[in-house]
Amino acid sequence: MSDTRSPLPVDITRRRFLQGTALAGTAAFLAACGTPPQSSGGAASPSAAASESASAGASASASASSGATPATSGELRFANWIGYIDISDDKKSFPTIEKFQTETGITVQYADGAVDDNETFFTSDLQAPLQAGQPTEWDLVVLTDWMVARLVRLKWLETIDTSVTPNFVANLNDNLKARSFDPDTNLAAPWQSGMTGIGFDKKKTGDQKSLDVFFDKQFADKLTYLSEMRDTVGLAAIRQGNKPEELTQEQFDAALADVQKAVKEDIVRQVTGNSYVEDMAGGSVIIAMAWSGDVLTLLVPDQKPDQDFQWELPTQGGMLWTDNMVIPKGATNKAQAERWIDFYYDPQNAATIEAYVNYVCPVKGAKEVMLQSSPDLANNPLIFPPDDWTSRLHIFRATTADEDKSWAEAFTKAMGL
Amino acid sequence: MRRALHLRAAAPYLLLLPGLLWLVVFYVYPAFQMFLTSLWTGNLDTGYQQTWNWGIYQEAITEYWPWLARSIIYGGLATILAFALGFPLAYAIAFRGGQYKNVLLFLVIAPFFTSFLLRTISWKIILADSGLVLGPLKQIGILPEEFRLLATPAAVIAGITYNFLPFMTLPLYVALEKIDKRLIEAAEDLYAGPWRPQGTVAGLAIGGVLGLVVGLVMDYGPFALSIPFGLAGAAIGTWLISQAFIRVTLPLALPGIFAGSLLTFIPAVGDFVNAELLGNPQSLMIGNVIQARYLQVTDYPTASALSFILMLAILIGLFIYARIIGTEELTGASI
Repeated sequence: MSDTRSPLPVDITRRRFLQGTALAGTAAFLAACGTPPQSSGGAASPSAAASESASAGASASASASSGATPATSGELRFANWIGYIDISDDKKSFPTIEKFQTETGITVQYADGAVDDNETFFTSDLQAPLQAGQPTEWDLVVLTDWMVARLVRLKWLETIDTSVTPNFVANLNDNLKARSFDPDTNLAAPWQSGMTGIGFDKKKTGDQKSLDVFFDKQFADKLTYLSEMRDTVGLAAIRQGNKPEELTQEQFDAALADVQKAVKEDIVRQVTGNSYVEDMAGGSVIIAMAWSGDVLTLLVPDQKPDQDFQWELPTQGGMLWTDNMVIPKGATNKAQAERWIDFYYDPQNAATIEAYVNYVCPVKGAKEVMLQSSPDLANNPLIFPPDDWTSRLHIFRATTADEDKSWAEAFTKAMGL
Repeated sequence: MRRALHLRAAAPYLLLLPGLLWLVVFYVYPAFQMFLTSLWTGNLDTGYQQTWNWGIYQEAITEYWPWLARSIIYGGLATILAFALGFPLAYAIAFRGGQYKNVLLFLVIAPFFTSFLLRTISWKIILADSGLVLGPLKQIGILPEEFRLLATPAAVIAGITYNFLPFMTLPLYVALEKIDKRLIEAAEDLYAGPWRPQGTVAGLAIGGVLGLVVGLVMDYGPFALSIPFGLAGAAIGTWLISQAFIRVTLPLALPGIFAGSLLTFIPAVGDFVNAELLGNPQSLMIGNVIQARYLQVTDYPTASALSFILMLAILIGLFIYARIIGTEELTGASI
């Protein structure tokens, strides 16, 4: 097995797919490392807080306010998932990255697809250097909530100096502030979110709104679960009336028991990563725990006359997961990374990226910008969920070290491993 | 003169050097590291210590022997199936390929131009419950509506067989192609002629037994597959199995059989892609367990121990296999 990336539709490898051999390639992006650290060494400099109000609202101008000033030169090494940013028609350049380079004078080494899945990236790029107290090869990486929670726990992340990121402070969606693993909202800056709910072929299943369908024999053998523990167990917990935000051990056990029962009784055909998409396209699976973006961008465009793919946020609620920009401990170009975070949280820039990426946008104001440029996307609930959806979306809480291991273990066991 | 002799004596070792170095750096060293890792205790947050925890091997075997056994059965069956498909194929190309030999060989390798992963994913579409293959069969009523191929042990074994078929076919082809056809002619002149009906019967028996075993492992009951397998075996047997075949061709093909079955069996046992994409929770293999323990549970010691156990199990099997086939005959036959 080799290339997990090239000819697939762009989104397919975005989330955890197959932890294969895609570790290579990242090295290619690490061109000669030129500029020495342009660091604002003291992340916790006392003057930082003072300058917060001063610099708010005047992000682009490199004002001469005291304390931390935004970086205006140097380099930024940015590892992201594949197909997760706007790309030019000839697939050779990234317009928003180029805009950032022109505006700021910072050179960006953008590694499209360097993050192939959370576990693999952790093992290949972060673990060894951070354990040894060395900087990694990256200044900014995009990782999913639970991996961020692990890095926070290990104290392997730099604090984002919010005094130089006024846009981030002002424009982050409220439901993503003060998450359990980032109470001060200064460790992880959301890049894109996604929702986990019910994906179904309406022509075969009719309308589906309740999570009960995943535990019922009605569609036995035609139904799949996700191999992401937090999605599958999260949905099971929501159905039992519990909140994934504050899941206790007992509640976890109860949710897992339901999941395990469904697997044992052959209600569940398969436990998959992204590959439920092919099964749904081929008609083998007609109902699945599904990620909003997959149904929208992969299934709907290719559906046949006898298919009608829908994604629904269950009445009981669904899961909201987020991929976040984080700065690994000791990153050489921390100030440049902060400059990018601030740049991204400018609604104009976020809207440009959003028009291409189509996941859930975490930036306030981007919707208004998009209403002008592409109203269809702006009014799509899968990109900008309406308020009554937001209240039904749950974020899985940060797990402790013991839970991280024992829950993963219990879950994989229930899934036949 | 002496110096020249020295150099000549050293030459083989010098030629071995690059390959040996490669193996030391990329195989021996990682394997040793993995071995050390298997004896750690600890976890991600508190760190790992080398505690020489030998007990982990027993724990790993006690807990995961069903997955180990399943992997060996699936891998073994896939190897036998690949042989059953690959041998007639290689034989036909080597002996009857004529001017089309190269084209046919290219066709054997052609799937390799697509990534392993994509080839396996495409099975999901071709073999979908009401897709290209099963859809029409269900419509004419040959198969019941609820029948499926995907997400079954059958799909896993079939997927492995398909993905590793060229690894079996090519060594077999090389061995068969090298056989001096005059030897077979000579054997036939010496009354080692066609072997009917025994060839047909032998083919029928081999096919039938194979069908029985495959049917049982794949959960289709004992007879569903033995009839078609038996018939196919009989047809191949009639055409292929003669006295000359048994006395000349087969022994001369042994090195190819040996190489082909190893090249197929070893990666097949450790494969996890087919089980993940084509299997169900009841048909996962040891590769999936190792992957989950390593990446999801971050239980590096158990994952390493399982990898080591798998490696040892394969090595032991290999020695037994080499003994049975006979290494001397192997090297002898290849000359």
